[in-house]
Amino acid sequence: MNVIARRTVRTVIGFVSVGVVAAALTGPVLASHVHVNATVPSDGTLGEMIRMPVALQAQDGAPLQGTTVVFYLHAVFAGVTGQAEIGRAVTDETGVATLVYRPRLAGHHELRMEYVTPGEGTVEEVSTAFDVSGGKQLYRPAARLDIPGINGGLLIAVLATVWSILLWVAFRFIAIARAGGEAMTPGQHKTG
Amino acid sequence: MVALNEWQERLEETALAPVRRTGPRFWALVAFLLAVIGWGAYAYSVQLRDGLIVTGMRDRISWGLYIATFVFFIGISHAGTLISAILRVSQARWRTPVTRLAEFITVVALICGASFVIIDLGRPDRVLNVFIYGRWQSPIIWDVLAITTYLTASVTYLFVPMIPDLALFRDRLSGKTSRWRSGLYRVLAIGWNGNVTQRRSLASAIGVLMILIVPIAVSVHTVVSWIFAMTLRVPWDSALFGAFFVAGAIFSGISILIIVMAILRRAYHLEKYVTEKHFVYLGYLMATFAAIMIYGNISELLVHGYKFAEGVEFHFRQLFLADFAPLFWFYLVGGLVGPIVIALLPATRNVRGMVAAAILVTLAMWIERYVIVVTGLRVPLMPYEPASYAPTWVEWSLLAAGLALFALLIAVFTKVFPIIAVWEVAEDHEATVGASGIARPAALETKN
Repeated sequence: MNVIARRTVRTVIGFVSVGVVAAALTGPVLASHVHVNATVPSDGTLGEMIRMPVALQAQDGAPLQGTTVVFYLHAVFAGVTGQAEIGRAVTDETGVATLVYRPRLAGHHELRMEYVTPGEGTVEEVSTAFDVSGGKQLYRPAARLDIPGINGGLLIAVLATVWSILLWVAFRFIAIARAGGEAMTPGQHKTG
Repeated sequence: MVALNEWQERLEETALAPVRRTGPRFWALVAFLLAVIGWGAYAYSVQLRDGLIVTGMRDRISWGLYIATFVFFIGISHAGTLISAILRVSQARWRTPVTRLAEFITVVALICGASFVIIDLGRPDRVLNVFIYGRWQSPIIWDVLAITTYLTASVTYLFVPMIPDLALFRDRLSGKTSRWRSGLYRVLAIGWNGNVTQRRSLASAIGVLMILIVPIAVSVHTVVSWIFAMTLRVPWDSALFGAFFVAGAIFSGISILIIVMAILRRAYHLEKYVTEKHFVYLGYLMATFAAIMIYGNISELLVHGYKFAEGVEFHFRQLFLADFAPLFWFYLVGGLVGPIVIALLPATRNVRGMVAAAILVTLAMWIERYVIVVTGLRVPLMPYEPASYAPTWVEWSLLAAGLALFALLIAVFTKVFPIIAVWEVAEDHEATVGASGIARPAALETKN
């Protein structure tokens, strides 16, 4: 009786374990009711706009309208690594959500798009990557006015004048020291 | 003639006395100041080990006690150059006993002030980045250049008028003091014996320096103000900041000069030379600058308050009604109105009154710098809760150490160098009593 019971328990545990593993492996697939097609260009130029369209379709091929897609870039800033949100877009009647993004850093970028499936309410994601080339200076001052003569050269000229005068004072020290040697009188003597 | 020589003899003895005699009270003071500096060094080691997280500064309020103290010290550094140079240029004779102290306060305050910038950096080695990556367009670079030039000019301006007095010390202390001290006076006196050529060179050097030092000093505090005014922060958005900072610098410089004068006058029995007249005259100057500061505050607050741009309401509320109200009202009433009242009332127009006014001004001007720095950064740039800042024990310890270093350097200076400009005081005295035909004492000449 004990042997039969033990075998029964083992068999049940075995089936449950296999079931759990199978559910774990197939879960995301089963949960995913959305077909995603991200047509992000594989490369771009620093400072120029890149269009990032993502098409979402239901399993029957119908476009998913009104779904918000959140775009994240893998980023490293001041030694901290993480996902930086770069924007959000909502799918239109054709199921396409497009983000227009201006890359500010050259190199390889990993992009992750996240959305919530309609009905199920589960968060799904899809990843892709693109390369950005170029070394353009992106910072442009809002206003710029060049007045001839007002620049770093003027600063250097002022500094040079001040330090020249201080140098002239240093030469006075030399003059004082030299005169001390020349003008000794019998009534005075060098001490110390 | 005999009376005049006796008078000068007493003057020289008074100047030499601090160097000749050092009592236990001086060493006790030095020990106390060193202990405070030692505690500050420990606090700094904690900051170096753990980083700026041990301070109250964070990403939104990234300047605090250190930068406020830096601005304060740069401000009081104007004691020497501006007060001494302006009085020298205007040939105010009463200045002579106080100029040497004022000039030394300048040099010491600049050294202490500059060290607070390095403390604020957290990583002192990063000061090199200013030179490696600095840009001419940055007010930080202008500040570094201005302070470096000012320190050099101030040391020169301290040294040049001291040459005849150093020669006096060289001759009078020969064989009566330690070898290092004798050697120091011999080197620094650069062979001075008071001949005509030397006096001509000395006069031309002082003449050039006293004019040069004024625009340099003005530029220094103007540039310090630009570090704030050229940053996009509502409370710092002012074209008046440069003039306001310079006026505040002279104001606090006078106050610290009065306090140091009072302490040294009592410690070294200088009552005969540093008289009540000097305190009252400096008190008048202080009251004048208090009035200028009041005018500057009214102009600044009224213009900002009338336009009431975004962020000004928050700023005014924190200044007048909320977090910073006690400090700001003390600054306005105690630090600006108080000294004028003290200087105007005959009952308080004396040494004690002026020292009390100077203490009020010194406290108020430190508070003003603290309020400018912290409230400026506290106004939110975006709709988030305002940040808060409270200095930690590390910051207070380093502030105490900075003040102790200031006091220590002045104390040591009085034991090594002449604290009175002997030859200038003698010339002033000669001009006063020698007008009736008494022969001129050899004030600029050294004696055996």
